[in-house]
Amino acid sequence: MDPFLTSRIVTDVLGGLTNGVTYGLVALSLVLIWRSTGILNFAQGAMPMFATYVGFALLSYHFGYWPCVVACVIAAVLIGGLTERLLVRRLYGKPEINPIVVMVGFLIVLEAVAAAIWSSTPRSLPSPFSLIHWQLAGRPFALSPFTVYEIATALVVMLAVAMLFRFTNLGLQLRASALAPEVSRLLGVRVGRLLTLGWMLSTAVGVITTILVSANFFSGLTPTVMDGIFAYGFIAAAIGGLESPVGAVVAGVLLGVVNQFVTDFVNQNAVIIIALAILVVSLMVRPSGVFTKSTQRRV
Amino acid sequence: MITIDDLTVSFGAVQALRHVSFVAETGHITAVLGANGAGKTTLLRTISGLKEPKTGTIRLGDQSLMHMRTEDIARLGIGHVPEGRGVIGEFTVEENLRLGAMMAKVNLAQGLQAQYELFPVLGERRKQHAAKLSGGERQMLAMARALIANPSVLLLDEPSLGLAPLVTAQLMHTIQSLCETSDLTVILVEQNATSALRIAHHAVVLHVGEVVANDTASLVAADENLRQYYLGLVE
Amino acid sequence: MKLGTVRPIPIAVGLAFVATVIALVSTSTSREGVALCVALDVAIACGAVLSLPRFKSSHPVVFRAALTLLGLDVALFVTYYFPSSTNFNLSTGAAMSIVLLGLSFLTGASGQISLGNGAFMGVGAFVMAIWANHHTTTPIVITLLIAVACGALVGLLLGLPATRLRGPYLAGMTLAFAVAFTFILATFSSWTGGDSGLQLPTAVTAPRWLDGFFAAGTPPLKTTTLYLTDFTILVAGVAFFFMANLFASRTGRSMRLIRDNDVAAELVGVSLPRTRVVAFIVSSAYAALGGALLTLIDNSVSPPTYSFALSVTILSLIVIGGIGTISGALIGGVIYAFSTNVISWITTQTGLNPQGNLASQLNGIIFGGLLIVTMIFAPFGISGAVRHLWHRLRARSPG
Repeated sequence: MDPFLTSRIVTDVLGGLTNGVTYGLVALSLVLIWRSTGILNFAQGAMPMFATYVGFALLSYHFGYWPCVVACVIAAVLIGGLTERLLVRRLYGKPEINPIVVMVGFLIVLEAVAAAIWSSTPRSLPSPFSLIHWQLAGRPFALSPFTVYEIATALVVMLAVAMLFRFTNLGLQLRASALAPEVSRLLGVRVGRLLTLGWMLSTAVGVITTILVSANFFSGLTPTVMDGIFAYGFIAAAIGGLESPVGAVVAGVLLGVVNQFVTDFVNQNAVIIIALAILVVSLMVRPSGVFTKSTQRRV
Repeated sequence: MITIDDLTVSFGAVQALRHVSFVAETGHITAVLGANGAGKTTLLRTISGLKEPKTGTIRLGDQSLMHMRTEDIARLGIGHVPEGRGVIGEFTVEENLRLGAMMAKVNLAQGLQAQYELFPVLGERRKQHAAKLSGGERQMLAMARALIANPSVLLLDEPSLGLAPLVTAQLMHTIQSLCETSDLTVILVEQNATSALRIAHHAVVLHVGEVVANDTASLVAADENLRQYYLGLVE
Repeated sequence: MKLGTVRPIPIAVGLAFVATVIALVSTSTSREGVALCVALDVAIACGAVLSLPRFKSSHPVVFRAALTLLGLDVALFVTYYFPSSTNFNLSTGAAMSIVLLGLSFLTGASGQISLGNGAFMGVGAFVMAIWANHHTTTPIVITLLIAVACGALVGLLLGLPATRLRGPYLAGMTLAFAVAFTFILATFSSWTGGDSGLQLPTAVTAPRWLDGFFAAGTPPLKTTTLYLTDFTILVAGVAFFFMANLFASRTGRSMRLIRDNDVAAELVGVSLPRTRVVAFIVSSAYAALGGALLTLIDNSVSPPTYSFALSVTILSLIVIGGIGTISGALIGGVIYAFSTNVISWITTQTGLNPQGNLASQLNGIIFGGLLIVTMIFAPFGISGAVRHLWHRLRARSPG
């Protein structure tokens, strides 16, 4: 095989992986919230974006990168918790349309307020690792220290979430609250608190994604930085099935790779169009997701 | 001891329970009987705080349970095995039990051990997903899950539903011996009046939300009218 | 004399006679006189028809026609006296109300949600511009119909997979479409004119007979704006009329049945997928019509207008107006017509810097905020709130 083509494919796969893990993380957060509260959080990208702005506003006070990251996570937890308590609580049990509309409205408000406070001009976040791609045999390789950091962080986060759910008592309670809220309450599980916790967790995962993305895309942090990622994350979650965390992550990674190939071999504009086509086809074939077991379908 | 006083529960315009009053004595099995729609399940759900009554009070000993959250009522030691058992199919047997043990500060290993002794089948299938259990095994799991938290009160909603007579008999036997060995207060809701009356100390019969009999079990069992009209035990 | 014994028809005839006389006497030009006469007589005739007892239930279609005609009559009459800027806003509002009508129907009548109606608007808008540029001789109405047909076609393409999807999946799919639309436009930039969009080849001008109504020296822009406004309002009237009949028809009722209870609908024999697709097609056709009209009004079309933000604005407007209602679409249209004015008024009143960050984001903050607040506290919008109030007042008064 033509060595140039091989290296191109390898580059695309690696580059796609880098994006794909971010889609996977967003998809994972969406699935977490969907399974625990039955709500599709359209503001899943905007909430962490806001938290990132808040956290990195501290930069102006000469704090370093890592303290700011911690601040971002704290802000994300607060935003997630407050949103659940104040906004989402009123939406349980309402017709399907209500939460969708409210979360879309929330998305718009968050982006508008962020732009009002911090303007839409991109801000470049400092990066703890070099963004410059390594060289392989004189040609730029798909990876840089930063992308490796990105992939590693994403994998660590996914693993941590998986372990939390599988092996801890808290995870057991979270799963129970999502699967059988009433029975859980009869067993003394404080379902309300766990739902709030679920939102906090989901936003925290989101903020890590946002921080990674904002540094990676050279264009930096803007109020709309998570829009595209959210769209692809949603598509991945929908294809993988909103019930399956593993499916969502896998679909996200695959989608990232596919997108990269499309960008390389077709053009930039075709990416979302093809992703949309994949979504449509996938939903026609398996309306509740590729990885959803048929008994689990919650339509 | 559970004291129900003048309880009225409605769903919109429909009154599911009307001025219901009775006492479930500590250490006794109180059977709540009646036809479908008599309000038995509503009664248990109201005790557990899943439904707010319009009027009346429910007390655990001296403590009022009114306006308390379900999870807080459960944490007071009121175990509730709901209609349909409520076993979480996606969890294993052991995970179901772990969930039940969580709210009580019990030693998990000891608790599991005790339940596996009581229900050996569960011990054999501890790593299996609960969805794969038979009806009788699920009932045992649901009960074990409630018992592992060492409750002082046990609310059982139609445990014999869908179970073979032999299994039902074993189940009732288990409930009876549990009651005898500890101070467990049991409120047993059943449509299968015969098997319930055999082990109960006291019986309350509901008819369209109202109490039509509130007496010792043997007296209720012997009453011809009750047997025929309210318990469907026509010869 | 009780109201029930009053005979509408003779009174109407009498009023019409009086009105005609007044009109002919009070106006200066014969054209104006005839116009005023027609306006008054039509209004009186409609009023008479509407006041006939139990007419609404016995002849519902005629009733709606009379109502529409009355509304149009009043609207066309007053637009003559409005300044151009107001007319411009009104025409934009009218076009938007058509779009809102489509979405109201989709969400309220059939319980489906679409976050992509801005893109459907764009389809209509661009088809109008592209066709006009390539076939300059086609009459405007035909081009409009072509734009609507294209919108319906795209609606069919998206509606087919949509039938099998539930709320969140459907919302997400339409969102993906809305986002993808911008890129679709960019891909076909040779057709769509790239970033700057397209202009209509020949600017729409008012027909000659309209000139006679104005005093000498009136700039042609005023007459053109009036013409376009009236045209848009007329089209809107027709659209509303059709929608009102659709709501009440068997199709409309089966859609509401689906919205409320899938299972019951299937038992009754309503074909779920087909009814859902029909709702989708209608909604996208209406959106395309609105978009095409906007192109006429603006005399141009540009890609940035038809972004995801537009879809959200449309959703906000109909939620605020009242989902599932016709009056909601009207209210939303009016709000849209004057929203820019209101927002700039707010900006000046609060002393904000118009070039500043906050001012430019005010649109998003207000609409997004209203969307949240309305959905939580008044999910049936203004229309629903008024209806609720009306019922409570009627329940109070005895008899």
